[in-house]
Amino acid sequence: MAPTLELDDIQGLLVRGYSSLKAACFLLLAVTDPPAARPALARAALRVTDGRTEPAESAVNLALTAEGLRRMGTLPPGLDGFPEEFVSGMTDPDRSRFLGDLGQDAPRHWRWGGPATPPVHVLALLYARDEPSLQRLEAELRQDLLATGGLTEVLRLATAELGDREPFGFRDGISQPLIEGLARTSRVTAARDGATADGDVVKAGEFVLGYPNEYGLLTDRPLLPDDGTGLLPREPGGTGADLGRNGSYLVFRQLHQDVQGFWGYLDDVTRRPDGTSDPAAREALAARMVGRWPGGAPLVHAPGQDDPARATDNDFGYVATDPDGLRCPLGAHIRRANPRDSLDPRPGSAESVAIGRRHRILRRGRSYGPRGGPHPPPTAADDTQGNGLHFLCLNANISRQFEFIQHTWLNNPGFNGLHDAPDPLVAPRGNHHATFTLQARPVRTRHVGLPQFVFVQGGAYFFLPGLRALRYLCTAAPRDGQR
Amino acid sequence: MPHQLAVTIRAALPAARVAEVSELLAEAGRKGVAGELFPFAEVTGVHFARLLVVPEGPGADGAAVPASVVYMGEVDAPLQAHLTDLVRKAGEGLEKVFGHCDGYPTGTASVAARTAWLRAHRIPSAAFYVNTVGRGRQQILREARLREAIEEFLDQQGAALSGAPPSRIRAAIQEYVTGRPDLAWARSRPAPPALWWRIRQKAHLLALPLAALFLLPLLLFALPAWAVLLRLHELRDVPSGERPDRRHVRELAACEDFGAQNPFTAVGSVKPGRFRRATLTAVLLVVDYGVRHFFNRGDLTGVKTIHFARWLFIDDKCRVLFASNYDGSLESYMDDFIDKVAWGLNAVFSNGRGYPRTRWLVLGGAKDELAFKSYLRCHQLPTHVWYSAYDDLTTATIDTNARIRAGLFADLGPAATRAWLALL
Repeated sequence: MAPTLELDDIQGLLVRGYSSLKAACFLLLAVTDPPAARPALARAALRVTDGRTEPAESAVNLALTAEGLRRMGTLPPGLDGFPEEFVSGMTDPDRSRFLGDLGQDAPRHWRWGGPATPPVHVLALLYARDEPSLQRLEAELRQDLLATGGLTEVLRLATAELGDREPFGFRDGISQPLIEGLARTSRVTAARDGATADGDVVKAGEFVLGYPNEYGLLTDRPLLPDDGTGLLPREPGGTGADLGRNGSYLVFRQLHQDVQGFWGYLDDVTRRPDGTSDPAAREALAARMVGRWPGGAPLVHAPGQDDPARATDNDFGYVATDPDGLRCPLGAHIRRANPRDSLDPRPGSAESVAIGRRHRILRRGRSYGPRGGPHPPPTAADDTQGNGLHFLCLNANISRQFEFIQHTWLNNPGFNGLHDAPDPLVAPRGNHHATFTLQARPVRTRHVGLPQFVFVQGGAYFFLPGLRALRYLCTAAPRDGQR
Repeated sequence: MPHQLAVTIRAALPAARVAEVSELLAEAGRKGVAGELFPFAEVTGVHFARLLVVPEGPGADGAAVPASVVYMGEVDAPLQAHLTDLVRKAGEGLEKVFGHCDGYPTGTASVAARTAWLRAHRIPSAAFYVNTVGRGRQQILREARLREAIEEFLDQQGAALSGAPPSRIRAAIQEYVTGRPDLAWARSRPAPPALWWRIRQKAHLLALPLAALFLLPLLLFALPAWAVLLRLHELRDVPSGERPDRRHVRELAACEDFGAQNPFTAVGSVKPGRFRRATLTAVLLVVDYGVRHFFNRGDLTGVKTIHFARWLFIDDKCRVLFASNYDGSLESYMDDFIDKVAWGLNAVFSNGRGYPRTRWLVLGGAKDELAFKSYLRCHQLPTHVWYSAYDDLTTATIDTNARIRAGLFADLGPAATRAWLALL
């Protein structure tokens, strides 16, 4: 029996991606004067959308970085109970090395969140039905946040109108884990064949703190000896106050996509012997890097060509249909981001899928730039400057979920038994020469010296608190020795 | 090809020198100049090597055991050749580290004198896992080159060979390799380890079951009592529940994730009393038997990413040292432990002080994910100086490379030829 989720205390973004709210923007803020920032944030917190019902007009969610939590002054400064990767932050040199944020992806070159730009403490996520509605929401929220002078706006990140394609031109967001215990999860599983849907249903504790995770345990989270306000939920079976309950960690990365570089490279390597472009071969190679056709059909089921009937097909594994990567190459992006049933020790088994369930994330990203909206696949000649993805994901354990996927699957040249092949689409190349291998019989073909197509330009780890915890952070008595 | 050895050399450091040696090693590792001080790449047969300081700890009869400096190498046999070469090529570095220890021959002392000192300070492993027994360093490096040469050949000849039948493609590869004098070694199979060593292994394979058979009545008699005692201990033992200190984690993280592999070194105290010490001794005896005879072909009960691992008792069995070289990140390594071999970890480490609570020796324990991960982090030591002879090769790649070499000139039928080409 799944525990009942306290949807009135969970921020709405954990429950849904607001797909009907097509306009969105993200405000990055700094706490410059904590005593003035606390009431401002408390006012904004009243607008925060919870997880109960799908908002029709607009939604607001709020998150804080570790430094933001410290600046609020209401927590012990050591931030006990928060995980090390969150406290040290995404730009800590050891984390940068781990995440592959080196060279041109290094934080010192970032547009925000790095050492060369103003610090980011608070993230406000704004969603609205359309652009005018977003503008109204933004004006109101700015009034709340900025009026006291305690917070200053560091940067506003715009997004493109929500479509179903990302800037390279591929349908995105098809595969998402389903949170056990949500009404929508029951609806989806009832509509699908139970056995195949099971792999996608993940324990709530993998995303929402304070609930059992895939190990049947509660993930470590910040507990306070006594909150003194009676605002926070009690720690189950303990005496402390549970600051983490109904919260989550939000990973934000601004990923610039070199659309022209991507399609230009594909065009170059698929030219006919007479030197002319071969659009079909170009698209086919792109599809094999991704693992899906631009329209969304998975190569495992549609190896030869795109198939509109399979645009949102997510009902497949790899071991039975394509163990050797003859349809969907072993190094393709979607095989890495979600290996489904291909993990050791027994690929193809329920045990393999269960291991994979411990490494899932809820993706909540939005595209930006002129190519971010609903467009047909771009051509090399299009103006493709300034496109990308504001990658956002939610998870309860950053090391075991987001960082694991990034390091052990996407960026790993040895993924799936390969040896010099990081993710062809999204991985940094670093000092390694990246290879993309198309498995074939009798023998493979390789593309060596793959250029890099996706670049990190900003990012931070945020804590997305439950509503009561958010109120606590803004209204609790400041700790001694802090302003 | 030789068999592989786990070399462990340990010597006590005078208290006044601990900080200095720790800083020397940390600095060498930080600046990436460890190779100048310890040119392991030039020492024949070294797969992996590390130097670190093991902090002081409790010894028998309550007396503190001083901090010590430890060298560990995973090397090709024979031992004497390794130690002599180590002294010759890394003599300066060794002197800076072991020179502070009691009796290390410094100054004009001979290579033989230093080697003898190192030999005298060896600690035997209670168990030593080798991913694939008998695969030497030279073989691993050569086979990686062979694979690269074949891959490049295929990249260049791909168009010309497209549409050709598998046997023709393989023949073209064979012809190409034959034409490369630098790859002439690939025409023959790697030699097995020395005969005497294989005979000794076979004898060991038989000896333990024979001994067990002989002791069977005693074991059957003792087993129920042992089980009852075990449960009593398990109920009484107190898991530490400790979360690692942030500074400690940062120091560890600074030594990790530079290549495809990582080192792991940890030290822990055995729970007090004869029961746990005896249990752990028996468990490691079984582990030793298992890794020698059954888990010696690339798979440690489902975990395939470990190159080498060793367990050893120190300080009159008051403490245990564990050291391994593995592919990927610590997070993935620990997840593998929990998901695939929690029972094995429990059997060994539940005899250590503070380990998460187990039931019947093998249940529970590591399944308490964060408690287990914290336990490992708390007991992990920074491996400041660490060397890998092939830091971009995973066990999977090494294995594929070996199969490519093994099949290249072998007598293969049509199906085997197709399977061989699929390795590329």
